[in-house]
Amino acid sequence: MIERRRLVLVLISLAAALAAAVAAATLLGSARLSPSDVLAVLTGHADASATESVVIWGVRLPRIAAAALAGGALAVAGAGFQALTRNPLAEPSVLGVSSGAALGVVIGQLMGPAAGVADAVRLTMFGFAGALAAGLAVYFIATTSAGLPVQTLLLAGVIVGMFFAAAITVITSLVDINRLGGIVHWLLGNVSAIPPRALAVFALLGAVGFWLIAGQARQLNVLALGEEAALQLGVNAERLKLRVFVGSALLTACVVAFAGPIGFVGLIVPHSLRMVVGPDNRLLVPGALLGGAIFLLVADTLARNVVAPAELSVGVLTSLCGAPFFIYLLRTRYRGGL
Amino acid sequence: MLALALLAAGALPSPAFTIADMSGRSLTLHEAPRRIISLVPSATELIFALGGQDRLVGVTDFCDWPAAAKQKPSVGGMISPSLETIVTLRPDLVIATDSGNRQETFAQLGRLHIPVFLIHANRLAAVKDVTTRLGALTGRETAVGPLVDRFDARIRAVAAAVSAAPRPRVLYVLWPEPLIVPGRDAIVTELIGLAGGESITANERSDYPRYSIEAAVARAPEVIILARHGTGSGPIARDQWDRLVSVPAVKAGRVHAVDGNLMHRYGPRLADGFEQLARAIHPEAFR
Repeated sequence: MIERRRLVLVLISLAAALAAAVAAATLLGSARLSPSDVLAVLTGHADASATESVVIWGVRLPRIAAAALAGGALAVAGAGFQALTRNPLAEPSVLGVSSGAALGVVIGQLMGPAAGVADAVRLTMFGFAGALAAGLAVYFIATTSAGLPVQTLLLAGVIVGMFFAAAITVITSLVDINRLGGIVHWLLGNVSAIPPRALAVFALLGAVGFWLIAGQARQLNVLALGEEAALQLGVNAERLKLRVFVGSALLTACVVAFAGPIGFVGLIVPHSLRMVVGPDNRLLVPGALLGGAIFLLVADTLARNVVAPAELSVGVLTSLCGAPFFIYLLRTRYRGGL
Repeated sequence: MLALALLAAGALPSPAFTIADMSGRSLTLHEAPRRIISLVPSATELIFALGGQDRLVGVTDFCDWPAAAKQKPSVGGMISPSLETIVTLRPDLVIATDSGNRQETFAQLGRLHIPVFLIHANRLAAVKDVTTRLGALTGRETAVGPLVDRFDARIRAVAAAVSAAPRPRVLYVLWPEPLIVPGRDAIVTELIGLAGGESITANERSDYPRYSIEAAVARAPEVIILARHGTGSGPIARDQWDRLVSVPAVKAGRVHAVDGNLMHRYGPRLADGFEQLARAIHPEAFR
């Protein structure tokens, strides 16, 4: 009962913070609309064809939705991979899963630009196949008789990530120079306003991934005690791990399909949350959904404002924050384990 | 009766402005565009040369010529322009290119109901075509003829000066690392031919393929042209070639630099670029 009250408290605080972030992101942008203009548009007091309305409804809000969705999905995927591998440094980009998804999506992109719903599904499925391939490769490379040691897992992730990045480079060396800029831009990780129906597809597929992980939060807590302990407590560790792996890979693939490989969100957000709410996955997984949305929304708002009207790639910003964060975790918390 | 006729006329849609873009699509606007955003430096140059700049309300960070173009509001880069800034400038038309802008940008503009006029140009003949269409878009049809005639005359004069000369093998370096060269669909390949040279990469697939330096050396270019990008900036990496002393062009000291912005933009300055190119390939013809 106490847990339920804590969950509600955590979710309400995060939802309030997300609402504040959405409000700030709606007010900020290179179009420099005044708060009263924004308010007039949102309350329906502006002409639908007015510039302000188009900026808010056609550009800013779709992008805010995309950023929040991508951030939430990546953070949940990170929490999933961390619980699954019982490794606090696991995360889609660190594990090479993002690179695997990226290769899949690049191959999918060669068949045509992402325009409609069918394209969204196609790109996600290609990304999903790549994410599964990379994840399984890492798992089989890193598994020893003693389980999944922290350092082998990280090294396997780095190596598999490099392999898939190299495969992407092969493709980019062969494509037409006019398309190269677009692919490189996408590879840096960028959120953009995508069509509502395509966004709905990503949200739906992402929801499946979220359900696969969040639905197993209690079992993941048991798994944290060790596989033997989990078995004794009636948790089928293999099935649980498979389910969470599929969920995390699907979430990663969704994000990579529409925003490119954005790194470290899955590391920064679950860790920051753990400092506040502790390691309980029943709190952590739904918390990560909201926390990730806040984090990437703030990062993307910075990305589209600091050098306006030009834009930075949000993936560059998250990596700039994420790499030092990773080193900090490595040096302070997990030194003994390595 | 008159009132009825007037009423009927009023009910009819106002005369629309229709123009075909270079991807073959027909664009219908309510009226001739008055607020144009150019995402293409070449188009920006041409609109200024035509005198239609009053209708230009936005350009990219790369639209650096003429100097007045830099005074226009920028919407950011060619690959990731700010959609918000574009919307704020209330354009009735955006001019874009299929080489340099992204498909996703066109799709996003389409969703915002902003018409996109797509330029597709990889031949010298396209300069006249683009100029004519931009003249129609900016209401400067009268400026098209003189501009095109002047351009043609300069190209013809330079081409005539070098037409009788022997044709050396030319390597044109668009970008040094990785080596990117003009292929069979590039305007530069056509210009090299007109300037009295044989591009050694003229038969490569697509417009600007990557190329191996070994293959370039093996074809023994007699003239090497390095494209500078921007005003003196950009890597031209001359020493990389100077080390290859067995290459005929290097042996003969015939490694030249040209201004890439004059060579790769299909604006009026292309005639300047063409002359630079011809002078580099056939200096003897311009003494």
